[in-house]
Amino acid sequence: MPRLRAATASFRHQASMFLAEPQWLIPNIIAPFVLAMVVLMLYREPSPEAVLYAVLGGGMMGMWGNTLYASGYSIQSDRWWGTVDAIFSAPSPLIWIIGGRTVWNAFIGIVNGLFVLVAAMLIFRTPLEVANFPMFLLAFVLTLLSLAALGMLFSAAFVLTRSAQVLTNGLEFPIYVGTGSMFPIFLLPYWTHPLSLSLAPTWGIDAIRYSALAGYAQGFRIGYWGDMLAMAALSLLYLVISIWLFKAVDRRARRTADLMRY
Amino acid sequence: MTSIHFRALTGKVITSNGIPSTGERGMDDREIVIDVRGLVRKYHSTTGVLHQKRRETVAVDHIDLQVRRGELFGLLGPNGAGKTTTIKVLTTLLLPTEGSVQVLGYDAVKQPMEVRKRIGLILGGERGLYYRITARQNLRYFADIYGVPIAIRDKRIEEVLARVDLLDKADVRVEDYSRGMKQRLHIAKGIVHDPELVFMDEPTIGLDPEAARDTRAMTKELVGEGKTILLTTHYMYEADELCDRVGVIARGRILALDTPSGLKALVKDTSVIEVEGFGLTEMDVESLRALEGVRTVAANMGEDKQTMRVQVEDPGGMLPRVAHILEDRKVIGMKVKEPTLEDAYLWLVREDA
Ligand SMILES: Nc1ncnc2c1ncn2[C@@H]1O[C@H](COP(=O)(O)OP(=O)(O)OP(=O)(O)O)[C@@H](O)[C@H]1O
Ligand SMILES: [Mg+2]
Repeated sequence: MPRLRAATASFRHQASMFLAEPQWLIPNIIAPFVLAMVVLMLYREPSPEAVLYAVLGGGMMGMWGNTLYASGYSIQSDRWWGTVDAIFSAPSPLIWIIGGRTVWNAFIGIVNGLFVLVAAMLIFRTPLEVANFPMFLLAFVLTLLSLAALGMLFSAAFVLTRSAQVLTNGLEFPIYVGTGSMFPIFLLPYWTHPLSLSLAPTWGIDAIRYSALAGYAQGFRIGYWGDMLAMAALSLLYLVISIWLFKAVDRRARRTADLMRY
Repeated sequence: MTSIHFRALTGKVITSNGIPSTGERGMDDREIVIDVRGLVRKYHSTTGVLHQKRRETVAVDHIDLQVRRGELFGLLGPNGAGKTTTIKVLTTLLLPTEGSVQVLGYDAVKQPMEVRKRIGLILGGERGLYYRITARQNLRYFADIYGVPIAIRDKRIEEVLARVDLLDKADVRVEDYSRGMKQRLHIAKGIVHDPELVFMDEPTIGLDPEAARDTRAMTKELVGEGKTILLTTHYMYEADELCDRVGVIARGRILALDTPSGLKALVKDTSVIEVEGFGLTEMDVESLRALEGVRTVAANMGEDKQTMRVQVEDPGGMLPRVAHILEDRKVIGMKVKEPTLEDAYLWLVREDA
């Protein structure tokens, strides 16, 4: 089980790194919160459903910041610390190390999301009655895992291409919109739909809405379980691509030396 | 029979019988734990944005190297000699461009995980630790990903912390550590999984003399416990004090490989005329170098005072000639001295230029 151990240790390590300076979370809390407010202000007299939609969406947006940054820059941060040699020369495969960290990051993303959600609920005085709690929880956990899988994909892709790093800064907003956190996807132009649909959390967010909002009608027609299935399938696909990308990272690191220059 | 490997004069390393020398007699029956043959490592880099040019750097150029169990082997060379690159290939961080690399009986290219389990890597310098968390948290993480059995992990961490004298600071964040403490933590991190073979890349760089002494003492202790160590350094006296054998490396090639005393023997027929003065220039160094009978000149061109070490075979005959060249310079001292390991090194490195 040395691989699992590397993953759990990396999870714990990421946690202690995070808890040493939790203030990094503040921008991740503020930005989605402000966005949720802006969306609400676009409605002149928001219906309770619209408020709920926006509040839930704010929570979803809160999840993204950490996944994008903390996971995307996971290997990158070891380059900053100068620990990348120690990580690359460890007798544990890199993907398990990054995998463990990514799960923590997704977890923090979710905590972040809940925080925004609760804050928005208090401010807009919208009691959120979760329609089906077990299904809500299941969707939540699976969304967490799908975020982790996506984070893993990002972390490998960011190391392999420099341009991906430049993209990150501009990626946050399109993802808020693309996953349907801010507006229902059907309001977006058609050409963006394939992009939205290829993001596993889009389906997760829809599933969460199905389980949380009684009488939710704007969702995908495949319903809660369809959402869950689509999310699981996409997450698995991410995992497969990640395994392949991490092999490329390892090869590239040892062949050229540009991943480890310090 | 001398066991000097000498490349500068012949262009190729001479070994007495094709088997690399081990320096001291009686070592020969120990198992070879590092076996490098014909190692070449090139880097490719591109320069320029519009008109990209591909540049090739040969960082390591056909190195042969054998290290036996329990040895403390030093790679000594100037900046850019290829020391770090060699260590990276040996620690499986880089693939060789050519040649074969066996570490502890495993192929560093094909069996990297087997190699990694058994080796430790200690880097010099400020970085390489997670500053935000404590020393203990750092060690715990490295112990976990380096596979220290979970049952003994915490005890093991306690042990290594005690050894590098950081027990009382174990729960302090690394960012509050002094430079010397960070280096000791580096050592702890490199040995937490009890590796058989430890690589140290310039472990004393940037340390004050006392911290450097501590680091050297710990290095010796590790060898005393039967570990094998390969370290790199810029410092002659460090190599002299610590190493059983030293490989002098420059421009990616091993120029000489022997015991410190064997290397000193390279300059045993020479003497050093040490000149101290004011206002000495590079021009003076060049004219001394051009003088017949001078093997090489090493200069330390300080702002207000300069010293030069002129290696000659016949100090009696050369002293007046050196004095003649520096006639109208302000020379405050000129002494004839015995050559040191440093002189041997400087001669090797210069001769190769
Ligand atoms: N990642 C890299 N890409 C391109 N060239 C490199 C890279 N790393 C090292 N080099 C080049 O390879 C040569 C050997 O470098 P190396 O770092 O191995 O030397 P070194 O002996 O460790 O030097 P130092 O004493 O400065 O640490 C140098 O010319 C260096 O510029
Ligand atoms: Mg170096």
